[in-house]
Amino acid sequence: MTVATVEPIGKEAVAEHQPILHDDPNDTLLFEKLQKYILTHYPNPERIGCPDPAVLKKFADTPREVGLADLKDLHIFKCAECTRALMELRQRRELAKMQEESHPPIP
Amino acid sequence: MPLSSPSNLCWNVIFPPEQEWIEKTLHVAIKTIWQRARNTARTQFGDESLAVEIMEVAIEKAINRLKEGPPVGSDEASLLLDRFYAQEARRRRKANRKLTFLGSSAELPSNPVQNPLAPVDSAIDLDVILQGTPPEVRLALLLRHSRARWSEVAEILGTSAASIRVRCQRALKKIRHRLGISEHGK
Repeated sequence: MTVATVEPIGKEAVAEHQPILHDDPNDTLLFEKLQKYILTHYPNPERIGCPDPAVLKKFADTPREVGLADLKDLHIFKCAECTRALMELRQRRELAKMQEESHPPIP
Repeated sequence: MPLSSPSNLCWNVIFPPEQEWIEKTLHVAIKTIWQRARNTARTQFGDESLAVEIMEVAIEKAINRLKEGPPVGSDEASLLLDRFYAQEARRRRKANRKLTFLGSSAELPSNPVQNPLAPVDSAIDLDVILQGTPPEVRLALLLRHSRARWSEVAEILGTSAASIRVRCQRALKKIRHRLGISEHGK
């Protein structure tokens, strides 16, 4: 018996190359992809319009103390450099949190 | 590189003895109009070497015409050849008008051409997506962008994770659509 291979055409071919990705309730995939999208599409090596690095650090450490105006509104969503800096700050914060949990301060 | 003479290119035609005069007459005709033919190719097409190709076509047509009639002198043959040459040049000019040649492939940059406005286009996209979103939603999205979980964002904003997620839903849906991600469970 001969089995013919049928090449996908039209919508099927597109669907094959663009699989639908399902996200979790935390929207992890969405924010991961958004992060990658910003890093690829919004290079800003000259740091034009970026908030002060101290503001970014404050936003990562004590976000309640930072407002939209301090962050220059949605600038971070349009800046690969700020997004990268924020990722690094988040990593550091999580690392510090893990260390804190494994070695709690002696009362 | 010197141009090959069309007489070197085209005399593969074998004439019967009674038509051998065509060969001799045409040789003279070619020599008569050759310089002008080169000038025409240079001025009209910017490439003198095209004179050879155009002349080959003209010679072929002239031979066919001369074969049909009685012997003619070199002056008449020159006029005939000149006319066929001009005819072929005109045909090529017309054909070229339908196409636009922008340099050769060698002149193309080795890197693929990138749209210099691509970053601008992207910026417009996200601006449109987040246009008109309330400040608290903007801040929540920024917080979620810098944190791993909605529960953390909710804690910072003094609300519940479900509530803040619902308020961000419209913007999230648009971003999902832009990034090709399906929502959980749908």
